[in-house]
Amino acid sequence: MSAVLQHLVNQPYKHGFVTDIEADIAPKGLNEDIIRLISSKKNEPEWLLAFRLEAYRKWLDMVEPAWQNVKYPKIDFQDISYYSAPKPKKKLASMDEVDPELLRTFEKLGVPMHERAALAGVAVDVIFDSVSVATTYKEKLAEVGIIFCSISEAVQKYPELIRQYLGTVVPPGDNYYAALNSAVFTDGSFCFIPKGVKCPMDLSTYFRINTEESGQFERTLIIAEEGASVSYLEGCTAPRFDTNQLHAAVVELVALDDADIKYSTVQNWYAGDENGVGGIYNFVTKRGLAKGRNSRISWTQVETGSAITWKYPSCILRGENSVGEFYSVAVTNHHQQADTGTKMIHIGANTRSTIVSKGISAGQSNSSYRGLVRIAPTARNARNYSQCDSMLIGSQCGAHTFPYIQVQNDSAQVEHEASTSKIGEDQLFYFAQRGIGAEEAVSMIINGFCKEVFQQLPLEFAVEATKLLSFKLEGSVG
Amino acid sequence: MSTAIRDDYLEKLIESWKKEASPVHSVSYLDQLREDALDRIESLRLPTIRDEEWRFTDISSLRSMPFPRASAAPLPGLDKQAGTFLDETACRLVFVDGQYMSGLSSLADDGSITVCSLSELIGTRASIAERYFGQLADFQENVFVALNTALMHDGVCIVIPAGVSVKVPVHILYVTSRKDVAVYPRCLLIAEPGANVTVVEEYVTLYEGASLTNAVTEMYIRDSACVNHIRVQRESSQAFHIANGSVLVAQSAHYDSVSLALGARISRFDQKIILAGGNAECEVDGLALIAGRQLADTHTFIDHANPHCRSRQLHKCIVDESAHGVFSGKIMVRPHAQQTDARQLNRNLLLSDKARMDTKPQLEIFADDVKCAHGATVGQLDNESLFYLRSRGLTEVAARNLLTYAFGGEVINRVIVPSLKQRLEEYILARTRIG
Repeated sequence: MSAVLQHLVNQPYKHGFVTDIEADIAPKGLNEDIIRLISSKKNEPEWLLAFRLEAYRKWLDMVEPAWQNVKYPKIDFQDISYYSAPKPKKKLASMDEVDPELLRTFEKLGVPMHERAALAGVAVDVIFDSVSVATTYKEKLAEVGIIFCSISEAVQKYPELIRQYLGTVVPPGDNYYAALNSAVFTDGSFCFIPKGVKCPMDLSTYFRINTEESGQFERTLIIAEEGASVSYLEGCTAPRFDTNQLHAAVVELVALDDADIKYSTVQNWYAGDENGVGGIYNFVTKRGLAKGRNSRISWTQVETGSAITWKYPSCILRGENSVGEFYSVAVTNHHQQADTGTKMIHIGANTRSTIVSKGISAGQSNSSYRGLVRIAPTARNARNYSQCDSMLIGSQCGAHTFPYIQVQNDSAQVEHEASTSKIGEDQLFYFAQRGIGAEEAVSMIINGFCKEVFQQLPLEFAVEATKLLSFKLEGSVG
Repeated sequence: MSTAIRDDYLEKLIESWKKEASPVHSVSYLDQLREDALDRIESLRLPTIRDEEWRFTDISSLRSMPFPRASAAPLPGLDKQAGTFLDETACRLVFVDGQYMSGLSSLADDGSITVCSLSELIGTRASIAERYFGQLADFQENVFVALNTALMHDGVCIVIPAGVSVKVPVHILYVTSRKDVAVYPRCLLIAEPGANVTVVEEYVTLYEGASLTNAVTEMYIRDSACVNHIRVQRESSQAFHIANGSVLVAQSAHYDSVSLALGARISRFDQKIILAGGNAECEVDGLALIAGRQLADTHTFIDHANPHCRSRQLHKCIVDESAHGVFSGKIMVRPHAQQTDARQLNRNLLLSDKARMDTKPQLEIFADDVKCAHGATVGQLDNESLFYLRSRGLTEVAARNLLTYAFGGEVINRVIVPSLKQRLEEYILARTRIG
């Protein structure tokens, strides 16, 4: 591996670790009293407290999973504070007060002006654009009957909807971290698209006005009724800092007949320094239930941050003719670890699923694809196609593939293929011949490698993600 | 040896063995190994479906059958049974109920290979035993290897001297002659540098009924040697067959293997291939043809431990009726194993709506300058092909059988012993000739 390439991939993380929250923090530790405290602070109905307690009791009986291909020191769950009411962050008076380093990042990523301000923590009311954009969005959504708010707000305003759907896709006792989340979740988003409504715009968490800080245990619930469709964006390309090391979120999607949910994630959390110190543990349970006939659930993710990414956005294809899709790019550098993939559970007849996963490892990082395709005996004529490719940059990283294929129906067609490649000297030479420098060449090769996934992202996200990837792996040539 | 064995199935096995075993006076390398394995069994247990490596293969029914170790009995008339011996070769090693039978075996006259029992090996060439025996078949984490090491009948050791090319295939026949017994055959093969040999391992039972075969084979293929290994398992449909094969392929050596799982109620074959020298190559193919309530589980592990090695793998399963096929193939590319070229393909054919297939092809790659690819498919016969054949006047059944036969034929074609190949082809035809 050439020195140039080594240099390219080993560029340091460009920002310090800055967080400044004053919060009303509950004592450390987890017990039933803390859960009651969370529930009462949030003024929750009795059934939700019961839901949390049930999850907590199940969690107590569970053991931390150890099958994943990631290594981290044991987490002390009693050393975490499970409730902190975030006070609004100190507002900056104008863009001039924002860290110039952060502004340069926005510039590089091409984040639109009004979003930059919101992301940098500038008080919304001093930015004309942002106010108008957010207000117009809210009005537009309300007009067609779409509910889009924080989950705490939804519990107060639409308790019957929450009660009907919460925990139906990811039950409280589903797995260790989902149980923990169900017991202590404090924040998250709720989105409801009524029958026949096509959401007029991409919904994005950073237009949800009351979000200052995302919680450590986020809970997202999206419901698309018959014939509805929505495209939801989570996260953003700008680097995100957080003092909470463990993040255990749960995302549930429900698609009824003919509904269509597209869920895109760009994750760029703090990944630790180049020696692997610090960084976020991102242990997430994401699952979509394609409940109705002809429904469709599509996951797209670009995972570039976090010290450990461990998640498997899944689809349960219960409705006849339902479709599940999973498109993923996972980039790991330095000591990052990623164990990610998907589960496609085919239950209904004529269900189809597509999996495209691209892993890029550099430095001393490890990335794994782990996927399950299960064809139940009832899934007549089910069809799956999986492709997972890995690219290795440098000789000290690892790429792993663990697909599980379980077929119990003879009319199913299941295909899986995987390959591994590297950026070769000859490829760089070819670019050099045509006057393209190593840095740009690497970026072009990587973007070509990830093209199939980026095509699935909403347009402006795709542009940003492309830049993010080069940014993540770039350095100065010389 | 005083602490209680935790697993009651293992306890029963060990107890019945202790009653039978004669006390050991001299402590040879082999006896020491047996002792160590017995000690190790105390802290092991029978795997269950909660163990990742046994997730799809439920062997709990074995618990109710703590078969005693078979004692050897002479078996007259074995040579008169059709389809037992191979036409090409007089060079055969016969095991009956796990015991090597020199009387039934015959070796090539030219003395090109050396065959001896393990007890002979210990007596005359102890250095070979200590250098090779039990080195590859690690029993620390594998209860079946531990059981085999502790309870094995006298095994056999085959040495192909350096530079010798053995002209005829070496046929190793493992016969289980009775039911309700357990047999523990053991085989060690050493191909010295530059040697070249074809080995046919065949497992048969002579009755319909339950029995347990727990076989361990170790092969050392030293520099530039070449071994062609054909493994045929056609035990009774009630039998349990558990086998562990470990192969070490040294520099510029070549290992070709074709393994066929045709019989047994539950069969499990763990194959570990270590490409331990530069430019080593292996081709590992397999076919499982199962029906009824059979379960065939193949686990392969190809370890690219050195640079410039090449591996190719094709594993196929044809699963009919309520049978259940399992495949788990891992390719490991160690750090520094640059210029590795590994390819793995697993194709599975489900012929009935109750058939089930679980497959898990895995790549673990720790080096960057490598070419690795794997693929897996599960499906049924192609409708277009069926239609084509029917348009040429074949009945639906005939067309299906022909396509099924062709699917399996790709692996059978890699069997290089003509009479065995013909016999296997006939076997597949017979199996597919339904309706």
